This record gives sequence, C-alpha cells and structure tokens, in this order.
Amino acid sequence: MAKRRAAFYLMTIPALLLFFAFHTFPALQGIYYAFTNWDGYSDSFDYVGFKNFINIFKDENVLNSYLFTFKYAIATTVLINIISLLIALGLNAKIKAKNFFRGVYFLPNILSVLIVGFIFNYLFSNVFPVWGEKLGSDFLSQNILGNSDWAWIGIVIVAVWQGIAYNTILYLAGLQTIPHDLYEASNLDGASRWREFWSITFPLLASFFTINMVLAMKGGLMVFDQIIALTGGGPGRSTQSIALLIYTGGFQGGEFAYQSANAVIYFIVIVVISALQLKFLQKREMDL
Amino acid sequence: MKKTMKPVTVSLLAMSLLSACGNNSGSNAATDDGGNAASGEKVKIEFFQNKTEAKATFDKLVAQFNAANPDIVVSQINPPDAETVLKTRAAKQDLPDVIGLGATDTYKTLSASGLFEDFTGDTLVSSIQPAYVKMLNDLTGSSELNGIPFSANASGVIYNKAMFKEAGVAVPTTWDEFIAAAQKFKDSGKYAFYLTLKDSWTSLTPFNSLEPSILGTDFFKKRTEGSVTFSDSFREIAEKQLKLTEFAQKDIFGKGYNDGNTAFAKGESAMYLQGVWAIPEIMKANPSLELGVFPFPATNDPAKNKVISGVDTLLTISKESKHKEEAKKFVEFLLQPENVTTYITEQKAFPAVKGVTQNDPAMDGFKEAFTSGNLADFADHYIPGAMKVDTIIQSFLNKKDIDAYLKQLDTEWDKVANRK
Repeated sequence: MAKRRAAFYLMTIPALLLFFAFHTFPALQGIYYAFTNWDGYSDSFDYVGFKNFINIFKDENVLNSYLFTFKYAIATTVLINIISLLIALGLNAKIKAKNFFRGVYFLPNILSVLIVGFIFNYLFSNVFPVWGEKLGSDFLSQNILGNSDWAWIGIVIVAVWQGIAYNTILYLAGLQTIPHDLYEASNLDGASRWREFWSITFPLLASFFTINMVLAMKGGLMVFDQIIALTGGGPGRSTQSIALLIYTGGFQGGEFAYQSANAVIYFIVIVVISALQLKFLQKREMDL
Repeated sequence: MKKTMKPVTVSLLAMSLLSACGNNSGSNAATDDGGNAASGEKVKIEFFQNKTEAKATFDKLVAQFNAANPDIVVSQINPPDAETVLKTRAAKQDLPDVIGLGATDTYKTLSASGLFEDFTGDTLVSSIQPAYVKMLNDLTGSSELNGIPFSANASGVIYNKAMFKEAGVAVPTTWDEFIAAAQKFKDSGKYAFYLTLKDSWTSLTPFNSLEPSILGTDFFKKRTEGSVTFSDSFREIAEKQLKLTEFAQKDIFGKGYNDGNTAFAKGESAMYLQGVWAIPEIMKANPSLELGVFPFPATNDPAKNKVISGVDTLLTISKESKHKEEAKKFVEFLLQPENVTTYITEQKAFPAVKGVTQNDPAMDGFKEAFTSGNLADFADHYIPGAMKVDTIIQSFLNKKDIDAYLKQLDTEWDKVANRK
C-alpha cells in the first residue's frame, strides 16, 4: 500500500512543481506588479498601493471593454449552444454519410483562429460588400467590421462559425450516452418528437449542457485572437475586449502594472462567473 | 516605423505563430554563446530591426559585412510587431546587441530607462545631419543621445500624375487649393482620396501632417506643463481632418492599408494621404503607375506647410551588450555612404547621413522641403502610446463630433499622465 502511495506521489509532485513554477508563480508575480508602477521594461519601480485599482474604476475604456466582452460572450454562448445542439441532433440521427458530415462540421475547429479570422476579414471587406451591392442594400454593401455599432456582430459570426465545431462533438458524445430503449419506450407511448426531446434528450444531456455553457462562456470572456485578426479592437475602441485591452495597454502602451491590476480584477470576475454558472447549472442536473 | 507596425502586425502575428519554432531557434543560436571570441570562435552579433519592408535590404548589407569581417557573424532579426517584442525583451534584460528602430514612443521610453549606449559626442555622429540628431534629443527631452539616425521618411500626399493631368488640376500648395482640387475630382465622379480607416493607424497620417504645420509640436510640451488644452487649440486640426472624409470613397471604415495601396495603384483615387513608405507597395501593385508627392497643404500659407519627416530608422547599441566593439563596427559599416545609398534607393527613404541624396524623380515634390529644412516631426511621437490616439481619431471621424473628440483627447491625456 505504502509503495503504491509513493508511486502516486512521484507522479503528482513533479507536475505540481512545474505547475507552480510556470503557472502559479507568474500569476502571483502579476498580482505583485499590480501594486507597483512598473512600465514593463525599466530597471526600477515604486510601490503605489491601490492606485492602479482605483484608476481602473475611473477608466471608461475599461468599462467599455467589459460591456463589449459580456455582450459578446453571452451572444456567442447562446448561439453556439443552440446551433451545435441542433447540429448534433442531426448528426446523431440515422442519416446517410453520417461520418462525412461529422468530419465536415469538425473542420473549423482544426483551423487556427487567426487564419480563420484573416479569411473572414478578407470576405467582410472585399466579398460580402460586393454581394450586398448586388442586392441593392446600402447597409450590406459596407464592411460590417468598419461600423462601430455592428462590428461586434461580425466577430460573433466568426466565433460562432468556428466555436460550434467543438461543442457539437461534446453534444454528440452526450447523445450517444442516452440508452436507446428510452426512445423505444416513448415511441410505444406515442410521444411526439418534440416531447421526446424535452422529456428525454435534453434532461439526459444536462451535464454536457453545463460543461458546454461554461466552456463557451469562458472562451467568450477571453476573446482575443478573433479581434486581433478582424478589427484590432476598432473602430475606435468599440470591439476592444478586456484581454485585448490588457495586452495593448500593457505591452504596447507601457502600462504594465496598470494592466496587471486590470488582469487581477478580470481574473476574479471570470472565477466568480464560472463558479456561479456551475452552481446554477449543476443544480438543474441534480433536480432531474 | 508606422508602416511596419500596425498594418503588418496582425498578418505577421499569424505567421509568427506558425513559425515560432524557427524564430526561437534562430535567436537562441545568436544569443546563447556570446563571449567565446577569445577561444578563436566567431563573435555573434544580433541585429534587431523593426521594418519588415527593409528585411531583404538589410540581409544584403549584413551578408556584405559578414564577408568582410570573418571573425564576426551578424544575424538579422525582424519579428512581427517588433516594438512590442523589443519591450518584452527589455523586460527580460535580453536586449539585442544592435537595434534598428524608429524614433517613436518606444525609443523614447527605452532610452529614458537607460538601456541604450550614449553616443553624445561620438565621432560617428559628426557625419549625421544635425536636424535629425536634434529630433532625437527633442523627442527624449534629454541631452544624451542614445541612437544614431540612419534614415528618414517623409509623409505628405502621394498623387496620381495622370489623373491630375486629365482633370487639369495643378499641384495644390494651400489648403483652399487642396480642397478645390478635391472638389473638382468629386464633381467629375472620382474620389480625391482613398481612406483606409479600418486600420486605425492610418488616421494618423493626415493628423501628423496637419498638427505640426498648424500648431507645432511644442504644443505637447506645453500640454504636459498644463498651459494649453486640446479643446483650445485643436479645433482647426479636427475640422480639417474631418473635411477630408467628404472626398473619399463610401466605405472608408471598411478598407485597410493594404486595400488602399492596391486601390490607389489602380487609379481609384487621385490622391493618397500616406508617407513614402507606401510607395514600394503601391509600385508592386501597379509598376507602370506614374506617381508624385507634394507636401500636405495644411494651411493657406505655403511657407508654413511642412513635409513630415521623422527618423525612420536609428541605430543603437544595447548597454548590456557583451560585444560592444564588434557591434559598433557593424553600425559604422551601415553608416558608410555607399551602404546608406543602397538602403535609401531600395527603401525610398531619405538619408540621415551627410553627403548622400535621394535621387528618385518620384520624390521631387519633397526635395525642396529637404533642402530648405522645412520639415517637422510626426506629431504622434509626442503623444503617449497608452493614449492610443489613433483609435481616438478613428472613432472621431466615425462619430463626427468635434467637441466630444477634443474633450476626449484632454481627458485621456490627463488619465494617462495620472497613472504614471
């Protein structure tokens, strides 16, 4: 017994050390810098207390990026989950060339976010406007990414297009865990398709629903690559996510400590949101 | 500088992710084993520069240097988003030996942190045009000189000679003539300008041309002291910049810098508000295009309208470098007139070194300003990077609210100053 335990320790302790060295320690360092005025490259810096945190609450750019990020995260989470659940239901049905379709729908997940972003960037600026012009629509004939009110929709479209691939796979896996005899029984009882979905499929998918919601929300809150590839945060600051603000302000703007403080606050926000989501959605699982 | 940073940042970021392994091994090889010179091995020097366009030219010069100096190996590093990379390397205390950089806010902050060698009174500086040396000192606000100007750029208006001839428009020298010419193109159903405001940094080119001719870059010093505000002084600049958008294509916020270069090359607009750095890209898209340049007519007094010229590349050496002597030898090599000539011919840049001239006929429109010294530095170099003034201008041109814009410039300036 003792020997076995030693083997487990041997497995976990190196991992723990590595995790601490490359993850926990830099995070603690970041928290430390949040209380200084370090610009990211100077030799010296001073301790400034809570000044950075106070300034963050006074900075409307931070507020704007929070609003954008939440708007974006909620929209993508809802859309990704609805669409990928529908696709998964379709792919799980008895259709021809099922594996081929599964492959096709998974493809976007293999491509890099940045590459997908650049492709869509080109489409938005050079292809879609031409189509819009043919349709005679003034609105559709301009690049949606150049419109400060609508640019975020463009980013949502790209993120959803790519995001559904992964969540579809998770839902598919979930659907396969549902025993067939349940459907046979409901068939005998004469339940409609709709009734079947609400009373059998959806409740039994609950744990997959939870994990997909949390993953999609977390991904949405941390959005970065899509924005770099599509708008760079513009026009103005209308599509500047929190992660992008931290990066551009911290590294390009030379406000490393200030944005570290922003990152610390952001970290707490994400933890709280994920915890709430889990708590709320898991309760739903238990009830069933 | 400008041209290298934002437009390509994004596209190169993608490539950098793809080729990250390659880059890393390259730079490690160059940095890891310094200090072996004594044992008869070659001294390895890292030459880091921020201009993607100039990579091939520098490769050629580096090869020449390496061939002439068998005991030194210089390797060029030219990463995407170079200024950010440089800042992170400064944070790691791992600066490259020789650095080629624009005279930007990055140069200012890094030299204020004391990371570069001091070249004040160095013999190399005596061959440099004093105006550019002064520009660096003005920028940093210190008497210490931490870089040697190598090449300069110029920004104003690029125009399509054939379209001007066809429309019977003469090169404008005053603001009124400029707008009249633009109106003439508009009336005949053509675009006077092609604006590329999807890339926020391109909003800076007209801004940088207007500000120094109308107000002068002293304004920013006074703003720091608190004796002036943007709201009092910037109205004319804002109005004029907004006016320009009336003569451009419809989807000005939907097109980026690369779209603009191609569109102008294909004759979609008569003028293009960019610096000379765009010319190689434009010529690539249409080699037979006949283009010329003229100073941006910011005011109605032609004598006041300056050509905007900044130090495009300055050369400097890291204070921490283990091979300062060899690094200096390389800098000396680059500053030799024949090498400067190679560089400015290929890059359409202007020399900072005395006795070398830019002879491309396309640049004739800027020549007079260069001989008379009617030059001014880029205004945005005096604005802290954290302000992101380019996005502020971009959103102003979108919303067209001058009062809100001026107020925002003031509040953002104060906010950044308070965080220091």
